[in-house]
Amino acid sequence: MSDRSDGSSAGSSWSGPFDAGLQLERTSLSWRRTALSIAVGSLVSLRLLPLWLGGAQWVLPGMVGLVAASILWRVSRRRHHAFMADVESGRAPGAAGAGALLALATGVAAVGMLGLAAVLAVAI
Amino acid sequence: MFRQGTEPDVRFSLANERTFLAWTRTALALIAGGVALEALALDMYAPLRLAASLVLIITGILLPVIAWVEWSRVERAMRLGRPLPQPPTGIVLAVAVVASGVLVLLAVLR
Repeated sequence: MSDRSDGSSAGSSWSGPFDAGLQLERTSLSWRRTALSIAVGSLVSLRLLPLWLGGAQWVLPGMVGLVAASILWRVSRRRHHAFMADVESGRAPGAAGAGALLALATGVAAVGMLGLAAVLAVAI
Repeated sequence: MFRQGTEPDVRFSLANERTFLAWTRTALALIAGGVALEALALDMYAPLRLAASLVLIITGILLPVIAWVEWSRVERAMRLGRPLPQPPTGIVLAVAVVASGVLVLLAVLR
């Protein structure tokens, strides 16, 4: 049973077939799908927002989104490699922390608020 | 954040994590749909179209927050060995999609 860097120790030993239930692969894929969803939404915004709202400054949300998506993609890759390294050395992998997930939730909510502002600004 | 109880099998935490990510992707799809409804200026009765758009976008804003709270509650329940809480996210999604669908239908028919 190994101790993790944050002081907590894994309650279970990671034994059995490699990545039993494919949990690690599915988690990595889930993060990648999330990054891709953000990337696709950003590309569409990049195309649509300047035409709809008028003005070159409306390429900014899409560009910020693409940067965010690429950061998320790179984080996913790094985490996937950490997963594989953990399992090969018999350690239990770590789940994501509350802070990272809250940051993601806040980011998506912020995108929604931007969309809400744009819709209301045009409609009213 | 989670210093209480015993650490659950990581596979359960990862499943909880994937569920949260799925809800954030759902929220992004709702936001995109709501914005597209207005941005594409589809030919239908404008006030109801706007209402449908707002229902979708506001749900897209609320869902990630609700999903994160649910993620926390499930993590805590797993650590303390308590029964898992019932998440409201599915009901919220169903109500939002039905409501905006009805609004769009009325907007098209008017």
